[in-house]
Amino acid sequence: MDLTPSAEQEALITATADWCADNMPLEQARQRPIALWQELEAMGWTAMTAPDMGLDHATEAVVFAELGRHLAPVGLVPSAVAARWSPHAGKAALALLDGSLEGGMLRVFDPHGAVQALGLAGHLAATTELPRDLDGGPSLDPTASLARLDPAPPFEAIADPRAALHLQLLAAAFALGCADAARDMAAAYAKVREQFERPIGWFQAIKHICADMAVRCAVARSQLYYAACALDAGADDAAFHIASAKLLADQAALENGRANIQVHGGIGMTDEAYPHLCLKRAHLLTFIAPARRDILLGDAA
Amino acid sequence: MDIAFSPEEQHFRAECRDWLHVNVPSEPRPLHAADAIDFDKAWQRRLFDAGWAGINWPREYGGRGLSIVQQVIWLEEYARARAPWIGANFVGINHGGPTLILNGSEAQKALHLPRILSGEAIWCQGFSEPGAGSDLAGIRTRARIEGDELVVNGTKIWTSFAHVADWQELVVRTEEGSHRHAGLSWVICDMHTPGAEVRPIRKMSGQIEFAQVFYDDVRIPLENVVGGLGQGWKVAMSTLSFERGTGFIADQVKQAQELEDLLARARQTGAIKDDRIAGDLAQMRAEVAALRAMTYRNISEVVRTGQPGPEASVIRLFTAELGQRLERMALLLAGEGILDFRYGEDSLVAEYLRGFAATIAGGSSQIQRDIIGERLLGLPKSR
Repeated sequence: MDLTPSAEQEALITATADWCADNMPLEQARQRPIALWQELEAMGWTAMTAPDMGLDHATEAVVFAELGRHLAPVGLVPSAVAARWSPHAGKAALALLDGSLEGGMLRVFDPHGAVQALGLAGHLAATTELPRDLDGGPSLDPTASLARLDPAPPFEAIADPRAALHLQLLAAAFALGCADAARDMAAAYAKVREQFERPIGWFQAIKHICADMAVRCAVARSQLYYAACALDAGADDAAFHIASAKLLADQAALENGRANIQVHGGIGMTDEAYPHLCLKRAHLLTFIAPARRDILLGDAA
Repeated sequence: MDIAFSPEEQHFRAECRDWLHVNVPSEPRPLHAADAIDFDKAWQRRLFDAGWAGINWPREYGGRGLSIVQQVIWLEEYARARAPWIGANFVGINHGGPTLILNGSEAQKALHLPRILSGEAIWCQGFSEPGAGSDLAGIRTRARIEGDELVVNGTKIWTSFAHVADWQELVVRTEEGSHRHAGLSWVICDMHTPGAEVRPIRKMSGQIEFAQVFYDDVRIPLENVVGGLGQGWKVAMSTLSFERGTGFIADQVKQAQELEDLLARARQTGAIKDDRIAGDLAQMRAEVAALRAMTYRNISEVVRTGQPGPEASVIRLFTAELGQRLERMALLLAGEGILDFRYGEDSLVAEYLRGFAATIAGGSSQIQRDIIGERLLGLPKSR
């Protein structure tokens, strides 16, 4: 039993953080250069658990938490799942289906350059081919472009239930990263913003908001690690642990997103400052393979 | 990263389980400390005779010297077997004893450690005062030196098991005019010394478990000072390093059991159909799992570096608050039957009422949040 990242995993986390700081600054979060996707592919992040690279889910999860912390393109999540489970190669956009496999409208996030879209249909992951040169417009999350397909094209389910778990796990990792980003932004601001002739982080009213943000991250990160290991080990209760990780990471991302804005005060409400990017990303992530209550309560069929 | 225990560790788990299965007392631990004292001593003696007392104490002091992972396994199995809380032996085993191991003289160790381990000597803690709670460095109980004795005057409060204890780990101000952390000494006080008066305090659960202690010219031999005069704060803090992140494992396993019991009850009564109840139970089930994962992470950190991670105060805070939410859920599911509660009863109502201690005793949740904000996030110190 060891729930701390190994030396290699630590090195990967550091390398990912360094790369993101240099190549994926928050300033560009809502207008990522087109060439970024090729760079992400070149770094191997779109296919870490695919047979070629063959890394485990735990390694991928810690790296995705780091990518999520830098609000990396959301298309990384479905693409990494597709690389492992889909018979089709190429970038996968994120598909949000309204529960049914047929009919209704389909939302596709991060569609630029994608050949397929992957999302959850019922309880299984599923893919659909996308029309060429599909491009997106604005959405709630300014870092994710959105295209709509109405009616939704037919989806092809991936029979292995682990594909759906993989999607949920990586979405949880992204949500954790988003929660981490909000926590760090709030703490950094609380150290420099002064009122009443001292940094606002001196006041317990602010300090305790930040402490609760740190608690949510620590809780969600712990469960993410355990869940990833459970998936790697093929544990019977992997579905429960991954659902728990998703629930806690979603809550951490949302609540930290809100708290970060409160700590920032007026500037936190603006379009110019970054806090709203975390909050809006958090809302998007909650719709990717949300935790099911029957799984959490242990009474799924 | 992996979540599997090694074959040796699994073998050790089976050994723990077997012993506990045969030896855990079937009768419940009595509610009041005075009634429970014989029970506590007998249970400690049984642990001691089988070599399960002081699992984290070094072997040279009679402990079992378990590795940190073995401690986790023992504590998990202990809670799973619904073994009783060690009660009155808590302070000696987890606090007084370890402090002596780290700071005591050979004579102090030889006299006290075997008696603590076997349950023969009961210890209590004398840290908090009416004016020194969260701000522990505000201690005002003082001791003047007369010849080879300390003469203590003042008062301590919220002292668990004071009325059944033989010894007390007492922190007093031994330098007149000293301030805050300086000038304090950690002293072994014989609770039967003339001038020491114990007034038990009843909790809102009806239970009599803690007390206020008054010291009126209580004479303590200078040789009972541990770690040197004026070193009291350092000695008291050193104890914290002994526990290394295992302190809440039994609580966490107990919480997991309580949650499954609550879930079963909610299904049985149909309360689970209430969307809010089902949602809260699902939430807590995820949190119980995450708490175990967080403890495992912290333990892994100890194995790797010898030190618990900075998130130990997160574990403490989260365990305490989750426990209280579980108790509130138990109350909600019980309905108006809780109104029949009377003092002397050890029910879920008593559990709920005494559970308020979790976010107050040993560092309130507000102090924990200060620590998290300052040590984990680097925010400026408020105090």
